[in-house]
Amino acid sequence: MNVATNPWIWVSAILTLGIFSFLYKENPFYRVCEHLFVGISNGYSITFVWHRVLMPALIDPVAQGQRLWLIPIAIVGALYFTRFIPKVSWLVRIPIAIVMGYGAGASIPRAIDASIVQQVRATIITRSTFESVYNGIWAVVILVGVIATISYFFFSRERKGIFKPLSYTGIIFIMLGFGASFGYTVMARISLLIGRLTFLLRDWLGLIR
Amino acid sequence: MKNSWEKLAKLDRRVIYFLLLLVVVVPIIFPFRLKPKAMPPVEKLFNHIDTIPDDKCLVISVDYTPDTEPELHPMAIALLRHAFAQRKKVGVLCISLLGLGLAQDALATVSEEFNSRAQTNADSIISGRDFVFWGWQTPPLVPILGMGENIAKVFPLDYYGNRTDTLPIMQKIKNYNDVAILVSIAGSAVPFWYITYAQTSFGVKIGAGSTAVQAADFYPYLNSGQVTGMMSGMKGGAEYEQLVEERLGVYGRRRATDAMSSQTAAHIWIMITIIIGNIGYFVMRRRKK
Repeated sequence: MNVATNPWIWVSAILTLGIFSFLYKENPFYRVCEHLFVGISNGYSITFVWHRVLMPALIDPVAQGQRLWLIPIAIVGALYFTRFIPKVSWLVRIPIAIVMGYGAGASIPRAIDASIVQQVRATIITRSTFESVYNGIWAVVILVGVIATISYFFFSRERKGIFKPLSYTGIIFIMLGFGASFGYTVMARISLLIGRLTFLLRDWLGLIR
Repeated sequence: MKNSWEKLAKLDRRVIYFLLLLVVVVPIIFPFRLKPKAMPPVEKLFNHIDTIPDDKCLVISVDYTPDTEPELHPMAIALLRHAFAQRKKVGVLCISLLGLGLAQDALATVSEEFNSRAQTNADSIISGRDFVFWGWQTPPLVPILGMGENIAKVFPLDYYGNRTDTLPIMQKIKNYNDVAILVSIAGSAVPFWYITYAQTSFGVKIGAGSTAVQAADFYPYLNSGQVTGMMSGMKGGAEYEQLVEERLGVYGRRRATDAMSSQTAAHIWIMITIIIGNIGYFVMRRRKK
């Protein structure tokens, strides 16, 4: 056993145990660790943005008389803070509207292409799909899965005739999807547990190499 | 028997946590050897990076934060080992602010591994010549779209404070045209942003390293070819580590592979508890009827 002598590893280990203590029950030790995490994350972000973004990109050049056109933009950005002054809080709508307008304009055409057009294209079966039997079989499965799943979410018509078996098939695909997601979620959560336990056993207690 | 199922159904969750803890801890201390076999998405990613031409580079976007470090950090390390072993040029950036420290750790760890074995300056891995760490820029759309036009303009200084346009490596990396593949390693939707904005606008190839929770969401994009290759969760990282060691003979601590024995034991344990729980549920339901 080779216990760590680095005080930062001790701090990290104690905070890890503090967060783990929630598994037993809610307690003040856990609360302290949780608040510490939130506070430090925010503090780190604010400091970094100030020193690495606002200072070099805005404050320094403007202070040197360069890029003065940034001043009105900075004023519009600063309107976010009017949220804290009830009388003029409506001004916050200006930067929000600009951000929303830019965001929507930039994302809508690209999102339609990336998430709809390209996906529909990948679902269409052509002769070349069957150049490999293996790929061909999976392409058919995907096509059936997409049509069946969409038919399950088609609520404007009663599930009769062809819609009945199709929507039931859709349920099977949806359940398979949920099962895969659950399996992956288990792997993800266990991975995080392993990561922390390895840290405790290796870096802190020195029980393993 | 009746009482046993009822007792089992009312078992305190803390007992289950404790048993799971044991199942995970024992293989960490006494691991059993597992040899991960690379799945096609991981192999595709490996092969694509392996065949990057000399005039192009690999970009790694470190978009994860400390909360997903055990799953995703091994991927970043394995990618860097691969790239440095093949002397591929590497650019690293962060979309997430809290990823900066992790990216710096991965670069320092892997370059130290190579430099400790280096005989000459040419063998060494040097910042500015073999890799560039651009750092972080906000908001995310600025670097994602801006890199399609001029990377040095998006990141005037690198993480260490050097002017990027003066770095030797940056003389050949101007924009996405010089990027063979951009691998976004994230526990969030950042790879989608790269697909939506960078790929749709500039046609850059995208690779993904995702947490297991998100992996299922990326498969449609893998199927459509929008994602060139993918590593999913800790297992994906272990598979890439295996390929790097097996095909390139690059050795180092394999964090993801080391964890796979615990992972396997935990999965078996969870499957057993799910089966027991379901049997108990049906037995008790039948009795109630």
